Amino acid sequence: MTVKSSYPTALALALAALLAVGCGSSGSDDDGGGASAGQQGGAITIAQGSQPDALDPALAYTSNSWEPLWLVYTAPLTYKRAEGTEGAELIPGVATDLPEISEDGRTYTFTIRDGLEYSDGTPVKASDFEHAIKRVLNLESGGTYLFEGIEGATEYIEAGDPEGDIAGIEADDATGEVTVRLTAADGSFSNVLATSFAGLVPSSTPFRNMTEDPPPGVGPYAITESVPNRQFVMEKVDGFDIPGIPAGNLDTITTEIVKSPARAAQDVIDGRLDYMQDPPPTDLAAEIREAHADRYKEWPTLSVNYFFLNQSLPPFDDEKVREAVNVGLDSTAIARILGGRLSGSCNIVPDGIPGHSERECPFGDPDGPGDVEAAKKLIEEAGATGEKVTVWANNDATRPEIGQYYTGLLDEIGLDADLKVIDGAIYFDTIGNVKTRAQTGLANWYADFPHPATFLQQVDGTAIQPTANGNYGMVDDPEINEEIAELLTETDLPSVADRWEALDERVIDRSYIAPYGSEELTTFLSDRMDFENCSLVHPLYGNDYSSFCLK
Amino acid sequence: MGQSPWRLALRRLRRDRIALAFGALFVVLALLALAAPLWADVAGRGPNATNETGTIDVGGEQVDVVSLDGVPIGPQWRGEYFLGADANGRDVMVRLLYGARNSLLIGIAAALLTTLLATLVGLLAGFYGRWVDAVARSALDVIWAFPVVLLGVALGTALALGGLTVGPIDLAAGSIAISIAVIAVVYVPYMARPIRGEVLALRERDFVAAARAQGASATRTMAGELLPNLAPTIVVLAPLMVANAILLEAALSFLGVGVVPPDPSWGNMIDAGVERLVTAPHLAIAPGLMLVLSVLALNVFGDGVRDALDRRGGAAWEAERP
Repeated sequence: MTVKSSYPTALALALAALLAVGCGSSGSDDDGGGASAGQQGGAITIAQGSQPDALDPALAYTSNSWEPLWLVYTAPLTYKRAEGTEGAELIPGVATDLPEISEDGRTYTFTIRDGLEYSDGTPVKASDFEHAIKRVLNLESGGTYLFEGIEGATEYIEAGDPEGDIAGIEADDATGEVTVRLTAADGSFSNVLATSFAGLVPSSTPFRNMTEDPPPGVGPYAITESVPNRQFVMEKVDGFDIPGIPAGNLDTITTEIVKSPARAAQDVIDGRLDYMQDPPPTDLAAEIREAHADRYKEWPTLSVNYFFLNQSLPPFDDEKVREAVNVGLDSTAIARILGGRLSGSCNIVPDGIPGHSERECPFGDPDGPGDVEAAKKLIEEAGATGEKVTVWANNDATRPEIGQYYTGLLDEIGLDADLKVIDGAIYFDTIGNVKTRAQTGLANWYADFPHPATFLQQVDGTAIQPTANGNYGMVDDPEINEEIAELLTETDLPSVADRWEALDERVIDRSYIAPYGSEELTTFLSDRMDFENCSLVHPLYGNDYSSFCLK
Repeated sequence: MGQSPWRLALRRLRRDRIALAFGALFVVLALLALAAPLWADVAGRGPNATNETGTIDVGGEQVDVVSLDGVPIGPQWRGEYFLGADANGRDVMVRLLYGARNSLLIGIAAALLTTLLATLVGLLAGFYGRWVDAVARSALDVIWAFPVVLLGVALGTALALGGLTVGPIDLAAGSIAISIAVIAVVYVPYMARPIRGEVLALRERDFVAAARAQGASATRTMAGELLPNLAPTIVVLAPLMVANAILLEAALSFLGVGVVPPDPSWGNMIDAGVERLVTAPHLAIAPGLMLVLSVLALNVFGDGVRDALDRRGGAAWEAERP
């Protein structure tokens, strides 16, 4: 039995919403292994608003980095290059097929394709998989928790020896076979094997952040130049051939770090840039929607935007204070700051993922105003009036404004809030460092894979780690931890979707986070790009650069 | 006996109507800043009161303060939203006046602190010479070596997260005291060097030698003989320092290391406004205009003061010296 077989039905229903609202053109017409239908060749320059957290598959954990790295580091499994429901389908990556899963759900076996080479010509070995996972564990990556269920992973981390062995991973370089044994069944592990963390790198890759000199990978593109905070260059890899993964159309993709979204948008309008990853600023959005509708689209994301509430620190250790934030929150205010690109929600699992709750929100309509008076009363009841709170936000587009809205709300309901805005490139590392003791602030989560676990791990106490911690609110509720652990052992997701849903509701009922919705993202291309035929949006990885082509 | 040099300078300044007009302009801006709470009462909201989903009456119709696609309303030329709203639905006029408080407070406080530090360093270095002068000059050279904005950004960023604690002085991260300290420090060489040069010249004068011969201590000589004679230099440099400090504060806030939002300053208001120049130009133009007017006023007034105190124009200062 493979996990794959249980997904399509659930996801066909769950991701139907994505299709219904329209994701632009239909799925990829490419069956992989060769060029897609678009014009071949050429070079483009695109923009990101801030430096990706890392250009290293072991450490990269933001959409800024995953969008490009997906094309550079192919994992044993990957997703079909298609939009909507189709794009959530697992397909083999560097593995020859989907893994064989043992009856008890604890052992995964797959075989690395024969004859594969990295972009620098180094042959791919089965043992490279273990090296890639060791780097994740050894570098205290944000993705560590995903692999801690492998037998011997905890011992490997504790031993502190990079060259040590992970007992639960056996790789045979002669046959290419890899066996991964888990301490307990994990229904999402096939998806874990498709994350960028599991992207293969040569065994000689050092145990350090390689952002300045990204290691070679297996993918349609290779990063050939990286100047942090300025630019990185991806070049097409000759001879790349894995069925199901398009070889890409463009020869060179240069990504520049352009802090000003207004400048980036104007440059795309004028043709100096060919694509901007961030949405255009509100200032230009109306003009772009009207005048450049032929090369612009907005699409829903499998994401949750929320304010984390650190329950290990006052005043958010008091449930009434956390509830007050949820009661007072007005998603419509944030929607206006985002220029209307927000679907209000009060759930941690977004619409489109199995386990999403459709019940009425306990703290009022997410598309209606918050109840500030009721929130004030809760703060008074909690005796928290005047308590000092520091709100954390990053300086990416619209984030300071959202931070200011939130700071204003906290002041209005009776707390004494200050705002701390730091650079987007270090934001998640900073609030994800437990020593920072960040009280509250902006956070968001884009699906690592189409499974509720990827969202609920943000409130999983067992996933708390000293650095690169994704559980910003330090939520550590034994009931929730146990339920997540138990549900993860279920490989048949549809059969336990209602239990995931109940878990989501429990998290919200206890106000562990304050969600306000899912942000819509955009595709905006220059006039010289073929928007009609070459702009695929993947439900998990966003804009697929390998689909891009010139007219 | 001739007129006191200060009276003479004041008389000259009175004749310089342009300098006086710009001096008055700065006073008006300062008064407007002081009147910020009064305007907030008229507008019905404080500087940080957000109102993204509110509406106001425009010609009998209820209009969104911030439209559904995120465009804030423009100037209404009346008490409420006189200069329009920003992206968070806050009243730009109210924030402009409160921003003036922060910008002017930081500018003036930083200039005063610079003056204090520069005078101290310049006096000690010039008077004692030798190793005191060598150490002071080296320290000033280190600061001088960095472009002002670059050093300001570096110090501002370094102190933005953890604040600064030196002995009993504790400057909280994000407080305007950090901005004041940073700006004051980076401008010290620009004032300390001319003062040191002035002291080097003065200490060779007869009146200083006479004071020392009469048994005046070093402290008494510096305070009683040198400092009064440095006053014209300090008075000329001070308004220009205030202008520079206001500009640097705006630059630091624009770059995100000055006044921390939601508290307003002209710099961070311009920063927020530049992203909306197309649909809401008032957001950048209003604070930009205030910044230009205040710096222009201080510079022109400062030039007037310099001309009035210019010793090349008369012998009054010489006459006062023993």
